[in-house]
Amino acid sequence: MMKIKKQSVIFGGLILVLFAIGAFFLHQESHAGNPMPAPPLKTVAIDSTKCIAPTEYMRANHMRVLNEWRNSSVREGNRIHLAPNGSKFQKSLNTCLGCHGSNRLFCFNCHMYANVKPKCWNCHLSPMETP
Amino acid sequence: MMNEQRREFIRKAGFGVLAGLGVAAGIVPGYSLEKTVLPAWDEKPVAGKIRWGMLIDTRKCKEGCQQCVAVCHHEHNVPDFGNRKDEVKWIWKSPYEKVFPTATQQFKSKELSERSCLALCNHCAESPCTRACPTEATFKRWDGIVAMDYHRCIGCRFCMAACPYGSRSFNWQDPRTAIKEASTSYPTREQGVVEKCNFCSDRLVKGLQPACVETCPEHALTFGDLNDPKSDIRMLLETNTTMQRKPELGTKPSVFYII
Amino acid sequence: MIEKALKGNRSYWSWIGFLVLVIVSGILAYGRQRWFGLTVTGMGRDVSWGIYIAQFTFLVGVAASAVMVVLPYYLHHQKEFAKTVIIGEFMAVSATLMCLLFILADMGRPDRVLNVLLFPSPHSMVFWDVTVLNGYLVLNLVSAWTVLGAERKGVPAPAWIKPVIYLSIPWAFSIHTVTAFLYAGQPGRHLWLTAVLAPRFLASAFAAGTALLILVSLILKKTTGFDTGKEAREKLVVLMIYAGLANFFLIGTEFFTAFYSNVPAHRHTLQYLYFGLEGHSQLVPFMWFSLVCGLGALGVLMTPKLKQSTLWLAAASAAMVLSIWIDKGVGLIIGGFVPSPLEEIVEYSPTVTEISITLGIWAIGILLLTLLLKVFVAVKREHAQ
Repeated sequence: MMKIKKQSVIFGGLILVLFAIGAFFLHQESHAGNPMPAPPLKTVAIDSTKCIAPTEYMRANHMRVLNEWRNSSVREGNRIHLAPNGSKFQKSLNTCLGCHGSNRLFCFNCHMYANVKPKCWNCHLSPMETP
Repeated sequence: MMNEQRREFIRKAGFGVLAGLGVAAGIVPGYSLEKTVLPAWDEKPVAGKIRWGMLIDTRKCKEGCQQCVAVCHHEHNVPDFGNRKDEVKWIWKSPYEKVFPTATQQFKSKELSERSCLALCNHCAESPCTRACPTEATFKRWDGIVAMDYHRCIGCRFCMAACPYGSRSFNWQDPRTAIKEASTSYPTREQGVVEKCNFCSDRLVKGLQPACVETCPEHALTFGDLNDPKSDIRMLLETNTTMQRKPELGTKPSVFYII
Repeated sequence: MIEKALKGNRSYWSWIGFLVLVIVSGILAYGRQRWFGLTVTGMGRDVSWGIYIAQFTFLVGVAASAVMVVLPYYLHHQKEFAKTVIIGEFMAVSATLMCLLFILADMGRPDRVLNVLLFPSPHSMVFWDVTVLNGYLVLNLVSAWTVLGAERKGVPAPAWIKPVIYLSIPWAFSIHTVTAFLYAGQPGRHLWLTAVLAPRFLASAFAAGTALLILVSLILKKTTGFDTGKEAREKLVVLMIYAGLANFFLIGTEFFTAFYSNVPAHRHTLQYLYFGLEGHSQLVPFMWFSLVCGLGALGVLMTPKLKQSTLWLAAASAAMVLSIWIDKGVGLIIGGFVPSPLEEIVEYSPTVTEISITLGIWAIGILLLTLLLKVFVAVKREHAQ
């Protein structure tokens, strides 16, 4: 009984995924005929194979990085983070979650262990809430 | 780990299928948060170069059509409490004489008396709300958008008293309980902060038009750079007689109307 | 010196107990508001400030009690005020404390209150108001406490206190002016958008401040036997009359400008407040009651025979306080939001939670004033013996 339930959950989830991907492409399609007046779009896919800084540094300082990112991108429009090795990242929580979201418990496990309660998820969607 | 309200939100949002189950966490990756790409501009923008503006052709706006309102409110996770007191709205339709109370009201045509006009934040060039804000939680952006920094807002509602257009809403209670269908494209807000239209700065950064502009089946809305004389919006302003809301207050709205 | 507040008779302690009870119920109500959000108040999208900000505005005025005695006593050497000065200053201290608490109670995110200081924004009047109010609280507390402390030891007050006291005089004018500027600078709210708002705030503050000071001195005389002196009260009455006359004169000028110019936006709120607009007339009885109380109080005070009677004096002072409380609290703040920017009329009335919190904050202020005055009277008694 339990197993069936679990399976249906997983399948339900997979269908949702396919649906989301489909919807994403459809969405893209529908925008094709409606270009943005200005400025021109210069989007470049990010390199998601590495983090913006060494793990040790991020473990201790990710909250400072996020704070700095938030202020400079929201308030000054300075949205590009230039890593020392020259690669560029968009200053966005989603940039982090693009990789780290693959482990839904990535943020929560550690925060629970350290007993810190960041308020990010009061507004931002956490990896726990995404399909 | 998650409190009841949060569970409720997730359930309502239709996300609950997997989120409640830790086991699934490792199996299905978190693909649904949009992958970030480099934004439409990759340097720190020059302040004052761009001034985003909108032109609303009220003649084209169909009576009874609420498409732009629905799309905007869905996309930005605007809650719907179903009562006027707690109401939160970014864009809405009101009768002509409410939107333009200081414009000519006598001997209006029947059609105009019955017309509804879109109202939203005017992203004023001389914004009284940003002047009133004691923490610069609401501030004038480099591109003319009057933005909200929800992280900083103390909820004093001074901006609401200052806004002459009633464009600002306060989160009198937790908005997450009143979002019927959550969108992943924009965060929600918290109880106790003020919110309003952001001219879709979240979409502009991806090179997209504002949701309301894109959605309108009648193409009644035009969006563009008011500082660029060659932009569509400037062409239309050139060739049409337009109005701003309460121009006598000197707020210099960036939203224009064709009546 | 503070230990003197710990010795009192039965009625003193029952009064303290009563205040603590009101405070506790206010704290419970505040807990509810924090949990569920400001939706538990009567405020909404259209009337987005309510009795909290109204009390705040009124209490800034009460803080004028200090300057009304400090100025004649220290600058003009009116010796009659010798026993009243510290009472006025202590009243200002508790009034400003209540002001700050009311702002806190009104905030959606009080946990972020320090943002006002972390991101100082000189273009915002709130920043200046928080600065001048805190400053005024400190100035008055320091001057009153130091002077009282010196008196207790039987030595003259230290010389450094003089500049502090002198500074508190212009500072008092700044708190009313800046508070008026909070409202008078908003382009879309026509009831507030008037240059006479700051003078009106000064006049109403001076009237309500002196009236409340007279009431407190009468209550002190009745409960502790400590008398600030009839001459002091008589002088305060004169000040109250002039301030009250100025206040009603300024209200009159508002009526003239609005109704003679006939500009709809200027007229609408006054129409709503005093005559009712489009069938909405919730506040009309309050506003007329306020006018009757205020003008009646002035009438009584200007009648020499009635002025001599303590009962009439107390009644007139109470009526003046009530009149200005309604005018500034109920009328000015709530009325400022009607009609809304889209010319719609939404009425407001406070909820039980809101009223409990309001009473709780008042009780905190009165408790502080009670304790401070207890110390004051004890020191005076000790000194007299």
